[in-house]
This record gives sequence, C-alpha cells and structure tokens, in this order.
Amino acid sequence: MTSRLEAKGLVRRFSRLRAVDGITFDLQAGELLTIFGPNGAGKTTLLNILAGVMCPDEGQVLLDGNVVVGSERQWRKEFGLVTHQTMLYDRLTAVENLSFYSKLFNLEDSERRIWDAMEDLEVKEVANQPVGSLSRGFQQRIALARALLHDPKILLLDEPYIGLDLYASRLLRDLINQLKDGERTVVLVTHNFGQGLELADRIAIQVSGQFIFTGSSDGVELTEFEEFYCRKIEELRS
Amino acid sequence: MQEDRGTQVLNYIALVWTVARKDLVLELRTLERLIAMGAFAVLIGVLFQFSIDTSLIRVQTIAPSLIWMTTVFAGILGLGRTYIIENENKALAGVLQSPVALDVIYLGKVVSNFILLLSVVTLILIVFSLFFNLSFPIEIKGWLSLAGVFSLGVLCFVSIMTLLSAVAVNNTMGESIIPVLVFPLLVPVMIHAVTATNRIFANRPFVEIEGNLRMLVAMVLIFLMLGASLFRFAIED
Amino acid sequence: MNNEKAKKVSLFFGVLGVATVLLLHYMVFFWVPTESSMGIVQRIFYIHVPSWWVAFIAFGAVALCSGVYLWLGDDRLDAAAVTAAEGGMIFTSIGLLTGPLWGKIAWGAWWTWEPRLTLALLLWFIYLGYFLVRRSTLNPERGKRLAAVVGIIGVLDIPLIHVSVSWLRSLHPEAVVLNPDGPTLDGSMLATLMVGLLAYTLIFISLFTMRYTTEVLDRATRVQST
Repeated sequence: MTSRLEAKGLVRRFSRLRAVDGITFDLQAGELLTIFGPNGAGKTTLLNILAGVMCPDEGQVLLDGNVVVGSERQWRKEFGLVTHQTMLYDRLTAVENLSFYSKLFNLEDSERRIWDAMEDLEVKEVANQPVGSLSRGFQQRIALARALLHDPKILLLDEPYIGLDLYASRLLRDLINQLKDGERTVVLVTHNFGQGLELADRIAIQVSGQFIFTGSSDGVELTEFEEFYCRKIEELRS
Repeated sequence: MQEDRGTQVLNYIALVWTVARKDLVLELRTLERLIAMGAFAVLIGVLFQFSIDTSLIRVQTIAPSLIWMTTVFAGILGLGRTYIIENENKALAGVLQSPVALDVIYLGKVVSNFILLLSVVTLILIVFSLFFNLSFPIEIKGWLSLAGVFSLGVLCFVSIMTLLSAVAVNNTMGESIIPVLVFPLLVPVMIHAVTATNRIFANRPFVEIEGNLRMLVAMVLIFLMLGASLFRFAIED
Repeated sequence: MNNEKAKKVSLFFGVLGVATVLLLHYMVFFWVPTESSMGIVQRIFYIHVPSWWVAFIAFGAVALCSGVYLWLGDDRLDAAAVTAAEGGMIFTSIGLLTGPLWGKIAWGAWWTWEPRLTLALLLWFIYLGYFLVRRSTLNPERGKRLAAVVGIIGVLDIPLIHVSVSWLRSLHPEAVVLNPDGPTLDGSMLATLMVGLLAYTLIFISLFTMRYTTEVLDRATRVQST
C-alpha cells in the first residue's frame, strides 16, 4: 500500500550544522505521528521542509507515492502548517487574513469555508478585530483555521499548544482527534508529552537532526515514556 | 482552449491584485511608509533649497535631477522595508506554504510599491514646484509625457527594488546593502528619466522625448522579466 | 579535475602567461612606436585594455555560471562563479587604476564620464554587492543563491548602462576630443595589443584554475567536517 506521506533521507544544513540529518519515515492516511525532542533538534526545520517553506539540501518528500519537487507549487495545497508563529498579518482582521489565504489557495465558496472554520474553532466573535489585538489563544485558533481552510490531506502542527490556556488546549486536542478520524494525516511536534502521546499513533524522538527512536504508541505509558526519553537524551549527551 | 488561457490570465491578474491589495490595505492602516517617505521628500527639498546657491545656479535647470534624486532616496527609504511586514509572525512562511506562484508575489509587491511611490512622487512634484517655482508643461501632451516618464521611471525603479529588497531582507547587513545593489543598476534609468524630464520642462517637442520613453519601456520589460524569473531564488529558503 | 592535474594546468598557463607578459613588456617599452598625439603615456593602453578584456570575460563567466547554478544547483558552478568574480574584481581594479593615470596625463583630467570608464566603475560596485551579499547571509547556501541573483542582474545591466551612457556622452562632446576606441592602431600597436590580450587571458586562466581547485577542495573539506 502506498504511503500517504513519505520522507526519504532528508538533509538540511545551516552552515556547519545539520539541522535535519537523513530523516526517513512514512505515514499512512489517517495516522498521527508525534515528534518529541529537545530544543534545537531540528523539528521545526523538518516540518518546514515537509510544508514546502524550506527546500532540503538532500532527500525527497513523497505524497501518495509522488515526489513533490521545488519548482512545482501545486502540491502545497495538500499541506497545512501551524507553527508557534501565527503566519498572520497583525493589522488585518481574522476574516481579512483568512480571505487573503483563501484567494492564494484559489478556494471556491471561500466565504462559507471561512465562516465554517471560524465556527469550528469558536473565533466568530473576534472575526472583525485585527489579529494583533487578540489573545494568543485566539491567534492560534485563527492560525489553525488558516491551515484547515483548504482542507489539506496532511496537517503539520509545530508546537501548537504554546501559549494556549486549558480551554483552548482541550479545544485543539478535540479538533485534532476529529481530524485524525478522517483520512487526514497529522505530524505533531510538541513538548506536551501527555497530549502528544494521547493523540499519537506513531511516536518519534528527534535529536540533533536525526530520529533516534521511532515506534508505535500502542501501550506506551506516559511516565514510562518520559523516563525513556530522558534516558535517551542523557545517553546522547554523555 | 483559448477560453482556458484567458481565464488563466484573469486569475493570474486577480492573484497579483490580491497580493497588492493586501499590502496597500496594510500600509493604509498605519501609513508608516507613506508618512516617512513624504516627510523625507519635503525635508530634502528644504535641504536642497539651502544647499544650492541660487545666485549662481538657476534651480529650474537642475530641478528634474533633484526631483529624481529625491524620488530615489525616498524609494530606498520606504521600499527597502517591503518585506519587513512579511517577517512579522513569519507571514511570509504562510505565503510560501501556499501554492501561489512566486512571480505572483513579486508582481503584487511591484504593483503596491508602484502605487505607493507614485503617490510620493506626486507630492514631490507639488512640493518642488512650490519650493523652486517650477513651471509645468502647458499642453496636455506635455502633461501626458510627464506622467509617462514618471510612471515608467518609477516602475523601473520599483521592479529593481522589489527584487533586491528580497535579497537584502535575508542578509545580516539588511537595508544598508540596498544602495550598493540598486544604485549601479539605476544609472541607465536615471539617464533617460532625467533627460526626458528636462526636455518636458523645457517644452521640447515630443519627438525629442520619444527615444527616452522607448528606452524606459524596454528597461521596464527587462527588469520585470528578470525580477519575476529571479524572485523565487531570492525569497525561497 | 583532480588537484594534480589542476596544478599542472595552472602551472602551464601561468608559465605561458608570465612569458607572454614579459614579451608584452618588452614590446611596450622597447618595440612599439610612441603614439603621436598622446605621447609615451599612451603605452598604459596596452595594460589598460587587456585588463578590461579579462574583466568582461570574467563577469560574463559569473553570469553564465550563476544562471546555470540556479538552474541545476551544482555547487561546482557556484565555485566557478565566485572564482571568476574574484578575478573580475582584480582586473576591473587594474583597469580603474590605469585609466585615470592615463587620463590625467593624456587629457588633463583624472576622471571622465566616458562610457567604458563609467561602466567599469559601476561593474566594480555591482560585484562589490555580489561579494557583500554572499558574505553577509547566515545560511551559506542561501548566500550563494542570492549572490547568483545579483550576478545575473548585474551583468544583464551592462548593455543598458553602456548604451545609455554612450548616448548621453554623444550629446555632450568633450572639450578634448576622445576617441572611444583609443588611438588609431597601426600594425605594431595592434600586435602589441593582441599580445597583451593573450598575456592577461593566460594569467587569468592560470589564476582561475588554481583558485577554482582550492575553492572546490575547501568546500569538500567543510562538508566532510559537518
């Protein structure tokens, strides 16, 4: 069976540093991969490469068996990216931001999609306020609405819980669960071990640009995994 | 097939306008660049007034040069910040993550920068005509020629600046590298723009300005094509 | 090309180039007749013009290698581009120094806005921008791409600058009449000039080969150490 998303030997250098160093994995449709790792492990760089924001120096990304290449841009509509930066314009309202992105993605029936997305993420009340004036929680939800507007097959979430209060975190968790139950494939990067394990079908630990551990999340206990993670990090540092 | 091609062209233009409109709306909400460029233009006029000995030099003869130099300096000041707004919240990453062609982004920014700078040029012309008692063309043809020269000259400048600002934004030297990159390329633009402007203010016949206008048109086409082709290498990581 | 072969090629062209330069200097100082209108200072012409010749070849190579580098992504092309740019800067600097030396004595002015001098000056700054962009980008790979963009747009501006400045100068004849092609050349002068062009080209090829090899080696060493 062809994988929905495949990464083969991805490498990305910044000067002498290999931020992503030969990462290979594959995911089927509907799977969620949670990537854990210390700061500076290259997780954000990996997601940026998958989303097409950055080009890898080596390696390939495949979507349904097809290599996605640099100069062809249409494949990017199959990906949605949420990072800890909102990628929104502070001085535009939520509606204006989403409307701008819907035009970039050439979406039909954009007005309905925008209002549906805002309703799902419970941000309709702040629709006409400049994004810069909103709380972090609302900004992140609008960012998520932006990423989901074009109904992507692959959703890439880079530390989406940062700055969210308990209510917003739960909303996000429930939303991710909903997305998973369809055909959507999700790659989640988080420092929140509880949420990350709860949602994951597969887990990976990335350190210094490499996956030092990959496996299924079945039967993995939180405390056990946290200890395992810390042990692995200490081993590498010693 | 012809309809498809026509629809594609319309869609392309609509996307270019989407990008341009977004930039213009953002600018109108703060007026940061417009105010800075406008204030600069007026104050430079003041400095010129006090740095030129009007008993030795008839200012009207060098006014076109002063107007174009002010346009260039104001443009460097304001247009050098074209991509600063995209760096807020990494908005540019969001745009790069979309399927839109990168030449659309480039042309959209050229359009918004062109409108911005042309507005400032209008202010410069008004202010300099007051400060230096300039006499504008009498006939409609003269006004149209003036509009043509300034539109083409500004478009040349903006197409170079929009590309090279993208180079500068990813650089530790930032905006300070822009003059080094831009000024050498501007020389042919300035030669033809200033010469044509001089001739228009001197009420010379159109046939004497035609050659300059043709060169400016050629340069606009060259710079826009180069900019649209090379932009992705400047902006992609 | 491996290191040993590159050394041999560089040495071959270097020796040939130095020999030709010695021949050139002999011809300049002892053989070629003195030009009638400008006198002995005109002999700088045989250094000045060949240095520009090489500078233009170098910058053409920069644009070509940069364009193909952006298309194919082959790092060797970028190495060739930066090597050619370094050579181009050196020879443009020689041209910019020798021009005013000639001009001051021949025409009474250190500098004139003559089309080719103007072009050389602007080209020097375009390539200063090329190196600045390259050096001051945090990600070296990105720096190479940005420099390639500057290199291409710079070289493509050359015809625009030349046509425009020539047109402008044609409106304003100099007080001292300048022949933009230099003095009318008789056979021996032409021969000396050709030897000069050959000498400088050989020196450039030698320097380019050696510098390109060290650049490629340096990059390979840096990649291995990451």
